[in-house]
Amino acid sequence: MAIGISGYSAYIPRLRIKKEDYAKAWGSFSAAGVAEKSVMGFDEDVLTAAAKVSKRALESVPMAPDKVTRFAFASTSPPYFEKLLSGTVLYSVGMPNSAFSSDHTTSTRAGTEAMIAGFEHISANQTGMAVVVAADAPSASMWDSVEHALGAGAAAFVLSADNLVAELEGHASYASEYFGERFRPRGNPYLHDLNVKKYAEGSLITNTTRAANALLKSLNRKPEEYQHVVIQQPDARVPTTVASRLGFTDAQLASSLVSKSLGDLGAASVPVALAAALDVAKVGDQIMVISYGSGAGSDALSFKVVSDRKAPVKVQAEMDRKEYIDYVKYLKIKGAIV
Amino acid sequence: MKKVAIVGAGQSRYGDFPDKGIKELFFEAYKDMKASVDKGLDPKAIESAYIGNLGSGGFQLGNMSALVTEYCGLTHINTMRIENACASGGYALVAAVMDVMSGTHKAVLAGGVEKMTDVSGVKQKYWLGVSGDTEYERLAGTTFSGLYALIAQRHMHDFGTKREHLSMVAVKNHKNGAQNPKAQFQREITLEQAIKGPIVASPLNLFDCCSTTDGASAVLVCDAEIAKQYTDTPVYVAGFGTASDFLAIHDRPDTTTLEGTRRAGEMAYKMSGLTPKDIQLAEVHDCFTIAELLAYEDLGFCEKGKAGPFIEQGHTQIGGDKPVNASGGLKSKGHPIGSTGTGMAYEMFNQLRGSVQKPTRQIKGAEIGLIHNVGGSGGTVAVTIMRR
Amino acid sequence: MAHVSVPMYWRTIPQRYKMIGQKCKKCGAINFPPKGVCKYCQTSSEFEEIQLSGRGKVHTFVLISAGGAPPEFAEQEKAGGQYPVAIVQLEEGPKVIGQIADVDPKEVKIDMPVKAELRKIYTEEEVIRYGFKFVPG
Repeated sequence: MAIGISGYSAYIPRLRIKKEDYAKAWGSFSAAGVAEKSVMGFDEDVLTAAAKVSKRALESVPMAPDKVTRFAFASTSPPYFEKLLSGTVLYSVGMPNSAFSSDHTTSTRAGTEAMIAGFEHISANQTGMAVVVAADAPSASMWDSVEHALGAGAAAFVLSADNLVAELEGHASYASEYFGERFRPRGNPYLHDLNVKKYAEGSLITNTTRAANALLKSLNRKPEEYQHVVIQQPDARVPTTVASRLGFTDAQLASSLVSKSLGDLGAASVPVALAAALDVAKVGDQIMVISYGSGAGSDALSFKVVSDRKAPVKVQAEMDRKEYIDYVKYLKIKGAIV
Repeated sequence: MKKVAIVGAGQSRYGDFPDKGIKELFFEAYKDMKASVDKGLDPKAIESAYIGNLGSGGFQLGNMSALVTEYCGLTHINTMRIENACASGGYALVAAVMDVMSGTHKAVLAGGVEKMTDVSGVKQKYWLGVSGDTEYERLAGTTFSGLYALIAQRHMHDFGTKREHLSMVAVKNHKNGAQNPKAQFQREITLEQAIKGPIVASPLNLFDCCSTTDGASAVLVCDAEIAKQYTDTPVYVAGFGTASDFLAIHDRPDTTTLEGTRRAGEMAYKMSGLTPKDIQLAEVHDCFTIAELLAYEDLGFCEKGKAGPFIEQGHTQIGGDKPVNASGGLKSKGHPIGSTGTGMAYEMFNQLRGSVQKPTRQIKGAEIGLIHNVGGSGGTVAVTIMRR
Repeated sequence: MAHVSVPMYWRTIPQRYKMIGQKCKKCGAINFPPKGVCKYCQTSSEFEEIQLSGRGKVHTFVLISAGGAPPEFAEQEKAGGQYPVAIVQLEEGPKVIGQIADVDPKEVKIDMPVKAELRKIYTEEEVIRYGFKFVPG
């Protein structure tokens, strides 16, 4: 029986900062291809964003929140290092306490980890309903260039075997050991990046291409058969690098290149980008999704769009709803002025 | 039921006194009260004491009434701390009156004391925001300024009350307080200054808000039958009223009325056989300027919604037909929370006997006065009518 | 810092996270937040739980500046400036106080439609307290 996505939604907090404001403060802006990025509000965090976007996604399907049987939450910037995060969202949205819930964190692959976990649940429980949400607002020291790209956003998906918007055709993963690229030591809220560039790029390419090629092979597909490819976006250049290595084109990337206006959404990068692709996809379109988390690993998922039903609030509408702030206000809101 | 008289009243200076704690402040008020008893007071006559107090400067949560009374040499008496937020003093007075009315005791001290300036700014703000509905009102981001501002905003919307009307209260009360040597602030302000003050919680600005204050007051309440032992010119308690209201203003059906004031006033008028028209002067609870405007309406001095024009027409000035807050009110005199209610009684005692310190504030021929003391944003209200 | 203990705050999460109100079995009115005795008919203690929509309109509001902000919200005010607090008339009847987020304070007006959503309220003892704030719409 076919399983897949039966509802989805994205949420982008409304504050934005432009690359020009960074350039004014630091002399340059380090996020390739990013013109502006989103900023989590002072009174928001990944849990409030997850609650909001999960509710929205559930409102787009006929089943009530109390019918959810599996919940998965993903973020690299949770407000606690230890505390059951999914409990806050589960309770707030009205999902049953008895649904199996899981927290996925520690790398930007967490978003697709949560999705695959949700799909595995549906495969084994065809009458069930899973909600998976990725919400992220990563932070780094204001002195570090890796900070420049870091944005904020969230996307949620309702997974089931019913009333599908997009069918899951298959998935493949690749995990390996690649220490010392992008990481956060224990107890530290700020991302570190040792900037060993070729080494890091090597990890990125190895993991993503192995996962994606394994999936293409198992489905007996070629890159050109896909209308959309959704790739991890630490900036707007990385996806084109990965795409060209795999034989995908910039045209296939166009529907999901959200990083240009939102920055690096961490574990929510691929989920929000997937929502953007779904917003414009046509019935019959194929979508290839490739995530990446440093340390390292990649998930690849393949979808076929089977309905023209769209999310009630489009990613583009979320991107257009914005208020600009300057760099000083940005620092105050991110608590970076200590 | 016994008829009740007030035969002595005292107040400390109101202000900011790092060298005085609650014991010292209360003693100052007590001595002042003792000195005001025309024929002298033997302290052993005082059998009972009700002390209004909210926070004890943060250090004595329990038994503060025993602490301050024994410091004054009043030991082994009935003593209770009365707490109803900013109405603590007003309720201490009511408790003393009921004590005498019931015949339980003959001479009873009603007083109040507050020490607000010892603690850090952060801790002070804590106090200012925990007598509304803490769980919802404070955690929505308001202290009392915010709550009264919510009321003011709606009052302006419903009745066309203007920014200038709020500021007129501040100007009047500062003008009066400038003539009160015991007031915290003794300087006049202009209407323009009051209108242009920095916003605290819009529409309320700095000049719409009373300050934090240290101070104490004490009045001697006794059975009217023995009043002449103490003075030939006692003041009598004609009646009193108390009423509570929903603590959170969002629970109140009418945002622009303090139902506690309305009912307490009604009860006091009924008990005293008087009407609003009979009241010649009043001390009302102007913690914020809007609160004084509400008091005009809720005490029946003017129609609902008409408080703005009422003050604009000058009725409540010294020299007007309904002088309100000749003492300077909370705004200029200060608001040491536990003491405010009995401090109002101190002022009214002097007004009704013609013994106000500075004659320019004396309301001539004053015979019937009303004091109005509100707890927080109106959760509790005590009104007492005093007469010669 | 306002001392609202962890259990005390936790006891109110049905209201703060989910807008759960109580419908009086006698007079049918909705009490939110809950009371022991219905605040309308003042005679009944029997209620049934009802999920409120979170939608309402502004009954009155205030813009809080630094001088009016409790310490828990001082940083919020410093980082973002004046913030609006409103009494909102919920569509089911009761009024409740709450901050309005995601709005230019100058645009807040009486009768403006708003909707509740989960936000961070404040942190005490390093525990984040979440609850509802209102957003326009």
